[in-house]
Amino acid sequence: MAKITENTRTEVREIVLAFFAEECEADKSQIKDNTSIIKDLDGDSLMFLELIEIFKKKYNLDIELKTIGKYAVKHPVETIGQLIEMQMLIIELENRLLELEK
Amino acid sequence: MAENTISFVFPAFISDYRDDPSREVPVFHEVFQEYLSKAAGLAGSELLAFHPESNPLLQNELLNQYISYIYGCSCAGILLNSGIKPVMTAGYSMGIYASLYSTGSISFETGLLFIQKAYEAIRSTVPGDHYGMCGVIGLSEKDIREIAVHYNLNLAIVNCNSDHSFIIAGDSFHINVFLLKAREEGALHARSLGVSIPYHTNLLTEASKLLAETVSTADVHAPGIPVISVLSQEMITDAEQVRREVVKNICHPFNWLATQLKMFNSGVRIFTECGPSQALRKNSKFIPGGGKFVNWNTLVNTL
Repeated sequence: MAKITENTRTEVREIVLAFFAEECEADKSQIKDNTSIIKDLDGDSLMFLELIEIFKKKYNLDIELKTIGKYAVKHPVETIGQLIEMQMLIIELENRLLELEK
Repeated sequence: MAENTISFVFPAFISDYRDDPSREVPVFHEVFQEYLSKAAGLAGSELLAFHPESNPLLQNELLNQYISYIYGCSCAGILLNSGIKPVMTAGYSMGIYASLYSTGSISFETGLLFIQKAYEAIRSTVPGDHYGMCGVIGLSEKDIREIAVHYNLNLAIVNCNSDHSFIIAGDSFHINVFLLKAREEGALHARSLGVSIPYHTNLLTEASKLLAETVSTADVHAPGIPVISVLSQEMITDAEQVRREVVKNICHPFNWLATQLKMFNSGVRIFTECGPSQALRKNSKFIPGGGKFVNWNTLVNTL
């Protein structure tokens, strides 16, 4: 289980914003926590998957995609802020993510 | 950019025009309209109503396939006329026809005929509202098979796009049950593809036999550029192989992941998608070591 520091949070936010700015050809400074990934950025599930893969590689995470999928069914991600929070949980809990449900 | 390492790849259907590279290529409109007029004369005047924004014909399976073919042929023609010659080509599913056209194996008219006859053969042998297809992302092949076995679903995995992206076909009720269960089991994305034909399943075996009657007498040549089979990942280099591939393509599963990796391992380093939707380019991000995609307009405009 990784320890989340303020640096981690800053790094995750930076990666998420840079990713969507590039993928969606958006102005990074205009992407806020309440920006809708689908409505405002025209994002899709492949982008979500790509981002997960980026974080899995960067933090050497041990987590199955379906674990994230099961969590996302109960906690749908619509905004950039929600996505960042979910990525933080994934980094912190990895395959124990679903234990939050118990 | 070394031109001898390029592959043209052709999508089956068009899903949207949001990222359409043709907007950056002024000659495209003229070339496309020429092909469109020719196709309308042969396949039906309703094609003339096509417009990428106001009437994209995305919901009609046959017309969508025609438009995708016309787009692919237009795009390949412009690339070839610009001096960009691929070392090989591949067609994703029904993208096979534009792929063959781009290699000189079949004429534009023969490609249209194959699309039309395949559709007629399928419609005469398979009921129109009993079947469907879906895409699922985030589950493994094992997960998918376990869901199908557990709920006794009569479905087939007809394509592997990457380790976590699959296309499934079969009975439409079973598809709907599968979509529900796949989401419950943690699929990040699971949705119907909005088609009523179970392409690439043995349900189309009879249709393939009917299609064979047309293909066996059609004017087919050896491809001037190798075509890679998405069914077997073998190189198709003569006319008889082309005929067999066209017939088999509609009723056999394929493997896009293995196809792209085979192309990469054969020396291809740059892929360009001859279609407006860029679905193959997006999928390629999940094929590690699978090469780089460059938009076809970039290839044309950088020469």
